[in-house]
This record gives sequence, C-alpha cells and structure tokens, in this order.
Amino acid sequence: MSHQPPVSCIPNTGKMSKAKKVIEEAKENNNPEIDLVDKGLSSLDEIPGLFSLANITRLSVSHNKIQVVPAALANLANLEILNLANNYITELPVSLSSLPKLRILNVSLNRLNGLPRGFGSFPVLEILDLTYNNLNEKNLPGNFFIMDSLRALYLGDNDFEYLPAEIGNLKNLQILSMRENDLIEVPRELGQLARLRELHLQGNRLVVLPPEIGSLDLASNKSVLRLEGNFWVPHIEDQLKLGPSHVLDYLRSETYKVLYSRHMSAKPAPPPQTLDKSKKASRAA
Amino acid sequence: MPGLATMSLDNMFCTRCGDGFEPNEKIVNSNGELWHTNCFVCAQCFRVFPEGTFYEFEGRKYCERDFQVLFAPCCGKCGEFVIGRVIKAMNANWHPSCFRCEECNVELADAGFIKNGGRALCHTCNARIKADGLLNYMCHKCHGVIDGEPLRYRGEVYHGYHFTCATCGVELDHTAREVKHRPGYAANDVNNLFCLRCHDKMGIPICGACRRPIEERIVTALGKHWHVEHFVCAKCEKPFHGHRHYEKKGLAYCEQHYHQLFGNLCYVCNQVIAGDVFTALNKAWCVHHFACSVCDAPLSTRSKFYEYDERPACRRCYEKFPAELRRRLRRAHHYTIRR
Ligand SMILES: [Zn+2]
Ligand SMILES: [Zn+2]
Ligand SMILES: [Zn+2]
Ligand SMILES: [Zn+2]
Ligand SMILES: [Zn+2]
Ligand SMILES: [Zn+2]
Ligand SMILES: [Zn+2]
Ligand SMILES: [Zn+2]
Repeated sequence: MSHQPPVSCIPNTGKMSKAKKVIEEAKENNNPEIDLVDKGLSSLDEIPGLFSLANITRLSVSHNKIQVVPAALANLANLEILNLANNYITELPVSLSSLPKLRILNVSLNRLNGLPRGFGSFPVLEILDLTYNNLNEKNLPGNFFIMDSLRALYLGDNDFEYLPAEIGNLKNLQILSMRENDLIEVPRELGQLARLRELHLQGNRLVVLPPEIGSLDLASNKSVLRLEGNFWVPHIEDQLKLGPSHVLDYLRSETYKVLYSRHMSAKPAPPPQTLDKSKKASRAA
Repeated sequence: MPGLATMSLDNMFCTRCGDGFEPNEKIVNSNGELWHTNCFVCAQCFRVFPEGTFYEFEGRKYCERDFQVLFAPCCGKCGEFVIGRVIKAMNANWHPSCFRCEECNVELADAGFIKNGGRALCHTCNARIKADGLLNYMCHKCHGVIDGEPLRYRGEVYHGYHFTCATCGVELDHTAREVKHRPGYAANDVNNLFCLRCHDKMGIPICGACRRPIEERIVTALGKHWHVEHFVCAKCEKPFHGHRHYEKKGLAYCEQHYHQLFGNLCYVCNQVIAGDVFTALNKAWCVHHFACSVCDAPLSTRSKFYEYDERPACRRCYEKFPAELRRRLRRAHHYTIRR
C-alpha cells in the first residue's frame, strides 16, 4: 500500500480493533451479516480475515472513508447484500459483477466517475443504488442495460442528460429514480417498462414526455410519479397542478400525441442547466 | 338527494380538480360527486359527454366512443364492439349470438363447447366428428384403413408397422416419437422415428405440462422441463416468457397473481411476507428486513425515519448526508406536504 498517503497508513488502532472484534464475533457465532458501519475505516484490506468469511450474506460498510474496493471482495461468494454507501469510492472492480448471489448493491453517496467495462454482468442483481455519484450516459459501460433482473435502479443525483433507449430492456424494473439529474429528454422506450410503479423524474430539464408513458400504471394508489421541478410545456404543467394522474390522462390523448410529435420535430434548444453541482460531495477530489 | 342548496359552498369541491365552486356556478352532481361543468369530461378526449351518457371504468368516466375504442372488445365473428355480455373463448371475444358451433351453427354460449382441431364445436358434433375421424384414417403408404390411433410422421398418417425404430429396429406403433431437431445434427439426420424407450434414452427432455418432447427452447423450473409456451402462471395461465415467476407449493405464479393470492412481497428479499408486515412509502418489508436503506440498521414502527427516494433513511444516516443534499431533501419534503 505504498501509494497511499502516509496518514492513512497509521491505522487508528482504536477503530481497527473494533472492526477486528466484529469479524471475530462473526466467526465465532457464524453470523452471516457483517456490520462495519461508521468505523472510520479507510481500507477493507486492513481488516484481517474479512475475505475468508466465505459464508456471509450481507456486508454493510456505509459511512467510512474507503477509497478502493478490493477485487478480492468477490471471494465472498455467498454475498447477497453489499452496502458501500457514503465512502470515497471513485471506481469499482469488475470482479464484483461476478458475485453469483448478489441481489442488492448500494454504492450511493460516493465519487464514482464511471463504471468498469462489463459491469452489467451481475447474474441476479435486483436493486442497484448508484445515487449521488458523477455518472452520466457517456460513462456507463456498454452492457449496463443487460441487467434485466433489476427491480429497482436508483440513479438520482447524477449527471445524466439523456437516458439511453436500452432502458426498455430492463423488463422487470419496478422503480426508476432519475431525480435531480440534467435530463433533457427521456426515451419512448420507457413506456415498455410494464412493471414500473415508481418513476422519479423531478428536478431535471424536461419539457415533454413521450406519450408512451401514459400507458404505464403510474396512477394507482401504490404508484409514485414525481415530475415537479422541470420545464414542462404549459399543458403538462397545468395537468401537473391537478396531480400526476391528470398528466398521464393527458399524455394518452390524441391532442398530446400531435403536440409531442410537433415538439420533437421542431427540436427546440434545451432549457438551461439550473442545478449548481459544484458543492456536491461527490465532486471532492 | 341531500339538497345541494343546504350544503355550504365552502366544503364542496370538484372531484377532478379539487377546487371549490363560485357562487351561482353551475355544478354537476353525479351520484353525489360534484364537478365543475368543465371538469365533467371524458378522461380520454376531455370533451363533455354527448347527451350526458358516460361509461365508467376503473374509476374513470369515458364517452361512449372512447370507452368502446379503449375497452370494449371486438367480436371475433362480426367485428363489431361487444357491449354487454361478452363470450371469451378460442382466444377471442364474441357476441353470445355470434359464438356458434362451426358444424351445425347452434349457439354455444350457454350449452358449452369443445375445442376440436382449432374449431369450436357443440358436444354432439364433436362426438360425431371424433368417431368419423377414427374410422376414416387412411394409411399414406398402403392406403388401407387404420384401426385405432395412427402413427404420425412428417405430417402424414400411417400404420405403425410400416416403420422400425431408427436405433433398435423394433417395429413401431402409434406411440413412436418423431424427432425433428437435435442440437449438433442436421435436420435430415434426425428427422426419424424412434420407439419410446430409445427416445427416452436420447435424453430429449419432456415438457411437464403437455408430456411431449421439447425440441426447441426449454425452460427448467420447479424441477421439471417445459416448452417456453407451456410454462405458465397457475392462475392466469399466461406464459412467463422469461419474466420472473414466483413459486408456492410446487406451482408457479406471475407476480400479479402471486401478490393477489399470497400477499405482500418484501422490498429487500422479494419473498412473500408470512408474518408481520411493515408498510411505508408504498412498499412492504418482512420483520427481518425493515431497515435503513443507507446503513441497513433495523427500524421499528416507532423509529423516526426520513424519506429518501421513497425509501427510509435513519436519523443517523440523514445527519451524515452532505449538507447540500439535506437542503434539497428538505425542500422536496415541503413540496410533498403542500401537495
Ligand atoms: Zn374542476
Ligand atoms: Zn357479433
Ligand atoms: Zn399401411
Ligand atoms: Zn428402439
Ligand atoms: Zn409442452
Ligand atoms: Zn397470473
Ligand atoms: Zn424480507
Ligand atoms: Zn441508516
């Protein structure tokens, strides 16, 4: 670990021994769920015996100072839940994607500037939380949208201007959050996500929605549709004041189909970028 | 009707837009629900209902034209919309008077029908045709009459004894199996007949539903093999076609019917919740999994939590969020309350 700044090489012995204690207790009690939340950890390599706990199903290391996710984490072949939220992670090893049982991955509140090539090959991933990073459509790997086992995809607080049309491949998606990105447009293919029950589009730069969204079941009392804080055309804005279900009704109308196709062929300049992201913690060097 | 005049305008609101009414404004009262005249419109075309006639479906009102376009099925025979009693049969919808025996033209809606070679027949015609069919099979090779079941091969019928098993040479009968495709073989090499025993030994999987060999795409589930189109929801009988299925007592269900029959699925483990259910934010959790979505710390019904993309975040996590994110979440929270 010679490339790391010297300050992180002086392990905070008090905190380290706490982590060590967690691991030893887990070994003794055969506890399959490891909690190392808020332990001041700067590296997972420093925790003796962690990678040999082959039978653990959950590892939670939120609220630490981890910068590097070691590739050896993929040795934990029984892992179903991996929670890395609120650390200093800038990149992930592709080995994670081969975890055969991983169902929930949380890398929210980190500093991801991209994802490794081949990231999408998780065999059974159901919930992927990448909220609050520096991701956009250009730094997603090519196979991102083959993850058709996903039930929930959280991409809020990132830098997407466009949502790739391949989103339509995620046939099992029930929840999609694109809250507070820079979205200028969402694709018609969103309308193919027949199971979608939660769609968060608030705080973007959207002007119109594809009419296909109107066919989604987003108006029931178990559904969530968040649209506020965009630059909607007046007709959508008026319906939104009555409630999101009125917007869906309107999107289904013949009038709107005409309006939408006119808008799309006129290609007006996108609204300005309004969110000031310079203060985001994910931007910290 | 509870006299409109006696109600105060102050607590009368439009069912659609939620706004109040002006004094002297004309108010539509439909089954006790009040509407602005401008708001009492078709949910599809936003026009007032011609002659006041509307159709209600799933809580929405539609004009006759849009209701028919959206929801009324078309009759499989005459092509007109079916309003009123719909007969659902043979993968189509019918007026009761349009659904008739394809042999004798008797109405089938109440008498019931039998599917025979893709046709809907009354019981009498079906019995007759079945009997005729058995008598009339003629062998494609010797042109003699076939007693009992024929052997079917490349679309023709034969006496079984004209053929022998391609593997063991035994004389065949109607139980022989024709193999059309086999991975790694050209079509002409496998288009052959086998006795049941040899066929089984070839390891060609058998569909758990129709008991026929599976020679194309195969689904393996519930410890059996299935034709893609025969692996279906036990309730609605729709094929899963690669969509997730849920198992219970050896049967498979689509998500919708699994929910309907067996209750909530836990947001974390995606399993049906057997014991106590925590519900919040349009989701449900089992006792073991109701936890903060940021740190996985368990929550209880009494825990205070913050909403974060419609998921719970515990107080400790919320306080560790970047200040600028907390500010935005607070603003969003105010928006939701105002709504
Ligand atoms: Zn109104
Ligand atoms: Zn008819
Ligand atoms: Zn013959
Ligand atoms: Zn044989
Ligand atoms: Zn079958
Ligand atoms: Zn079903
Ligand atoms: Zn659970
Ligand atoms: Zn928490």
